[in-house]
Amino acid sequence: MTMDRKIVIIGGGIAGMETAACLRDLGWTPVIVEQSSALGGHVAEWNCLFPDLAPAGKLVDSLRAKVEGIEIHLDTVIAAINYLRKGYSLVLSDGTKLQSDAVVFATGFSLFRAEKKEEYGYGIYDHVISNKDLELWFNTGSDERVPDNPKAVGFVHCVGSRDIKAGNTQCSKVCCITAIKQAIEFKEKFPKAEVYCFYMDLRLFGRKYEDFYIHAQKDMGIHFIRGRVSEVSETIDGRVFVKAEDTLSGKPLRVSLDLLVLMAGIVCNRDNDRLAQAVSLPLDEDGFFRSRDNVSQLTLSDKPGVFFAGTCTGPKTIPETLAEARSAALAVNEYLKTLK
Amino acid sequence: MRERFASGFDPFVIPFVLGMVFVLSYCLFGMIRILVQLPKADRRKFLLSLVTPKTLLKDIKDIFLNCLIHVKLWKRNPVLGYMHSSIAFGWFMIILLGHLEVMLFLPERIHLFYYPIFFNYFVAETETTLQGAVLFFLMDFFLLMILSGIVLAIIKRVRSRIVGMRRTTNPSFLDRVGLYSLWAIFPLRLLCESFTAHISGGSFLTLPMNWIFRQFLGNELNALPTWWAYSIALGVFMTVLPFTRYMHIPSEMLLIPLRNAGLHILHPRKGFARVQFYSCPGCGVCIDACPMSVRKENLKDCTVYLNRQLRRGNEKRIEEISDKCLMCGKCTAVCQVGVQGPELRLAQRTMRNYGVNPHYSDIDPERFRVEGGSAKVLYFAGCMTHLTPGIGKSVRSLLDKAGVPFKMMDPEGGLCCGRPMMMAGRKEQTRELIRLNTDIIRNSGCTTLLLSCPICYRIFKERYSLDGIRIVHHSVFFDELIKQGKLSVQHNDSLRLAYHDPCELGRGCGIYDEPRSAVSSVAELLEAGKNREESICCGGSLGSLSLNFEKRKDITLASLKNLCVEDPDGIVTACPLCQSTFSNYSDIPVQDIAQVLDNASS
Repeated sequence: MTMDRKIVIIGGGIAGMETAACLRDLGWTPVIVEQSSALGGHVAEWNCLFPDLAPAGKLVDSLRAKVEGIEIHLDTVIAAINYLRKGYSLVLSDGTKLQSDAVVFATGFSLFRAEKKEEYGYGIYDHVISNKDLELWFNTGSDERVPDNPKAVGFVHCVGSRDIKAGNTQCSKVCCITAIKQAIEFKEKFPKAEVYCFYMDLRLFGRKYEDFYIHAQKDMGIHFIRGRVSEVSETIDGRVFVKAEDTLSGKPLRVSLDLLVLMAGIVCNRDNDRLAQAVSLPLDEDGFFRSRDNVSQLTLSDKPGVFFAGTCTGPKTIPETLAEARSAALAVNEYLKTLK
Repeated sequence: MRERFASGFDPFVIPFVLGMVFVLSYCLFGMIRILVQLPKADRRKFLLSLVTPKTLLKDIKDIFLNCLIHVKLWKRNPVLGYMHSSIAFGWFMIILLGHLEVMLFLPERIHLFYYPIFFNYFVAETETTLQGAVLFFLMDFFLLMILSGIVLAIIKRVRSRIVGMRRTTNPSFLDRVGLYSLWAIFPLRLLCESFTAHISGGSFLTLPMNWIFRQFLGNELNALPTWWAYSIALGVFMTVLPFTRYMHIPSEMLLIPLRNAGLHILHPRKGFARVQFYSCPGCGVCIDACPMSVRKENLKDCTVYLNRQLRRGNEKRIEEISDKCLMCGKCTAVCQVGVQGPELRLAQRTMRNYGVNPHYSDIDPERFRVEGGSAKVLYFAGCMTHLTPGIGKSVRSLLDKAGVPFKMMDPEGGLCCGRPMMMAGRKEQTRELIRLNTDIIRNSGCTTLLLSCPICYRIFKERYSLDGIRIVHHSVFFDELIKQGKLSVQHNDSLRLAYHDPCELGRGCGIYDEPRSAVSSVAELLEAGKNREESICCGGSLGSLSLNFEKRKDITLASLKNLCVEDPDGIVTACPLCQSTFSNYSDIPVQDIAQVLDNASS
């Protein structure tokens, strides 16, 4: 058994970094291929993480430190993958050729494009932003769509999730708790502002999530309204006018807001089609990669030597992603040991 | 000419006589029944139209052109046109010439109605006259014409693609009986006339055949059995006719005057509707036309099958087909007879008893009082434009740019126009909404009602009585503003846009040219593969009550493919529902005409 076997990890988000770090600890030689110019993926663009409001930057920094010294190709995508008798041969967009014994897909997800739900007015009205825009604003403080002194702000849950018309029927899992987190952060910045959350269900499955919600409702005075927003329009003075139904009181609700935040959901990576074709892997109906088994073999694919880590197989929280990344590393380790 | 038999009768005519008596009385009773079923006002309208020379002439002209010559079919498919008109017109001419012969040679026998049909059996030629020769020639000529049509019909049955049809209907058992007896009638006629041609005389077709048969078959022994076979074939065809698709032949002759009288379908089974579905020839042109046909499981949901089920009274399927339809109206646009498929379905939907019936009596129209001063243009965006705010924004921006003062009827959402309720067959709710909206519009003091949604536009145009107020769709309005020079737009030579005709605007309201003209003023206009009257529904139509979102996907994709035949840079339409439906699946941008004009104007 040779220990210098190479593993190419596609995607340098938190899943890719964690997998790479673990594989190196196990004695193998991982290589990370990342299409953007920095490691960290979506998490690097986030401000704070639920439920303890820990800074996202800290997590990303610690992971970046863990992959120090590993071969990393930034601004690079996979041009071609070929399955040979002994592992995989990859060609990168910069012309580099890599021979690897295993490939780990850590390609993550794409954020639903909020402008596709045109009725919410993203990209049309002046004061409609997405959850990601809000995190960027938390980070940078500059976004002309966010007013200086907002009196009322609304969060729309499930934008592009659980929505057959948007082409996604799955639950994005993390937006409920993210909306609560963002609502709390927003309320902390603007204590006088009224904050509304429009939801259809609150799926608060994780530890401390429910407490977080109770905190938001009782201590922070955030209004939770069960009912989907039907349409959004703009008033003459440029505010956002929201029509929704409060299904608990059974009454229609109309409210003018200074800012509307759309909780864009997790959808499959838009590159999945191309990547899956390259290795002739099957995609599930929802566009995510298909695991060999959805209960016990989440990190295995139908092909020998191809593994999955993180949200390329469906929406996941950060702790779940990290745990799965380590699990993927172990699966790769097991597989490489069987190679003669 | 002299008679061969003093009695002027032979038992072989009995099958024909029985069949003919049966079919004539069936049609007569059917017609009386339908006229009785018509609402009183409609019946008066119809009877009045029959004594009005103008409509009467139109009736006769339409019957001649459509039932005999099949002009509409000729335009669509010359091969099928020839096939149908050769049989229909040829047969008509043979019957007509048969009567002429009797009148000319044996006028005392004209009261025997089988006589013109079997003339050649009952007579012997004594001398050759010019009149006789011409008549015999014409008889043979039209018989040949019919036979060529029959040959085409047989080819069509075996391989419909040869005559340009992708899909055709599956005939029922009785349809087949009718079909085969119809096919048999004319070759049999040729045979029997040939067997007796040396006695009765004949022309270029029958005389040589008579000579050939004499060489090896002999004529005398074969003549009578063949005349029997001919009469039986006719008798069988006439007897099964009311129960087959060939019922369309007599029905259409009633349909045309009813339609010309301006009648509407009010009940899905009675009166006018009955004539409509009996007039369906079952040709199946609507199968290829129906947008749902891209899905194999929806092949039997098009109008030809609705008509079949309506004839059979299969309630379950009638309901299913009626609810599923997108109501795009394409089947009516391509139908040779003009069966109004969507209207039949709509009438069916009005029959349903809904468990919950909303009422709007507590809505106070004062709540929606229009503000905005003395502007004469009232803009009603409607729910679909509110759901696609980009379009509404562009409409308002264009109005401002053109300096048209306007006021919004529903700035924060208003009442529904009523069309969705109408499509669901809920007459009462539709009436209430129309009453409320009419109040609001009248009180606003406007003279022009501007609409950016063709769904609203159509019901405002068809069902509202807003005399004195111009109801206009934004594509027409902006086209006018451009032509009047009030709206200045920049033409982009490198932009190539394909225009999609929304069903409600095109087939629904007949507006095809104005949107095209407006698009041409800002970009190069491309046409879809099928366009105008034959444009393909986007799949988003609110006409369907039961087709779910996933099933509509295939329809949308097929429609997109049709729009992209000329490889456009973008798609432009004039309906917010089409725009948002296409946007879900299109690789190229899909915009409303207002957005395209707004981008190109200053």
